[in-house]
Amino acid sequence: MTADLTTARLTLRMPDARDHASYSAFFADAEASRFYGGPLLPYQAWERLAADIGHFMLKGFGRFVIEKDGQVIGGCGILDVDGWPGHELTWWLLPAARGQGIAQEASRAVLAWAGTELGWPRVETHFRDENTAARRLTESLGGTKQRRETFPDGIDRDIYAMPTTEKVSA
Amino acid sequence: MTTLTIDIPVLETERLFLREPRLSDLDAIVAFGMSDRTEFVGGKLEPWQSWNVLNAAIGHWINRGFGWWVLEDKATGAVAGRAGIGYHLDWPEPELGWHIYDGFEGKGLAYEAALAARDHANRHFGLGPLISLIAHGNTRSRRLAERLGAKIETEDFQIRGTPCMIYRHPQVAV
Repeated sequence: MTADLTTARLTLRMPDARDHASYSAFFADAEASRFYGGPLLPYQAWERLAADIGHFMLKGFGRFVIEKDGQVIGGCGILDVDGWPGHELTWWLLPAARGQGIAQEASRAVLAWAGTELGWPRVETHFRDENTAARRLTESLGGTKQRRETFPDGIDRDIYAMPTTEKVSA
Repeated sequence: MTTLTIDIPVLETERLFLREPRLSDLDAIVAFGMSDRTEFVGGKLEPWQSWNVLNAAIGHWINRGFGWWVLEDKATGAVAGRAGIGYHLDWPEPELGWHIYDGFEGKGLAYEAALAARDHANRHFGLGPLISLIAHGNTRSRRLAERLGAKIETEDFQIRGTPCMIYRHPQVAV
């Protein structure tokens, strides 16, 4: 249904039951997961993983896991929560995988995939004002602010859009 | 190439189809999540949490090979509830469970669905004898478990900090 995406350093594949340890480790880390609804207990991380798997079935796209050197180090993809103001390019990385440009490399692969496989001219994302890392990454991907909305959780967020047609520099 | 396939059997009873969860079921699942009917099954959920419930219900089938069906009322096509076999990470073993949505209670639909789900789990999933975890105050579910022939195995169990009872169901001879 959905082919693996590969970049110079990474493989992005659909999540499966084997990924529970990585999800649990990430969501157990309160600091690392603070913009992702964390911290979560292991059983909650298991449900999150199950939801990410189900998302691919319901929507035809979703959040991949990122493998580097055979290890899962994070995730990247597009989530579309019905009832929220827009879909979202999203990424998460275990702390040890940060600071190496991995989120950007994975995001470029996802944007290219959204353009070629999903036929989308652009992909949106949103983040909290204090998530400056997300804003920087979004801008590095050519993202520009489209609008600001109040989300169902009561938090106002900027919504950005990124083109999918940028040349992928793998 | 990674491929993902999902094979969720469709069960038919006198008045229900037990079928796979679909995107179009979301409104019914959200309405249930916001209703008082969640009192004994974890409490109310925001719509986005119910979105995750729907997504995770499908992921559960993929991860475990069994899961919860959506109950479709054959007469109207409406979503009457959900039922099936849940085996969450922190669950003691696979559990037979059921939720009946507003407007569909009091008709014996939960009995019909639970019986079909239990029978299928025994015969085709290699599961059972199954348990049901039921909060002490949930008298309607306790009555249903007893009507299904389940017996109290433990009075003082806890799941996610909530006290409950473990009922043990009879097993269909396979």
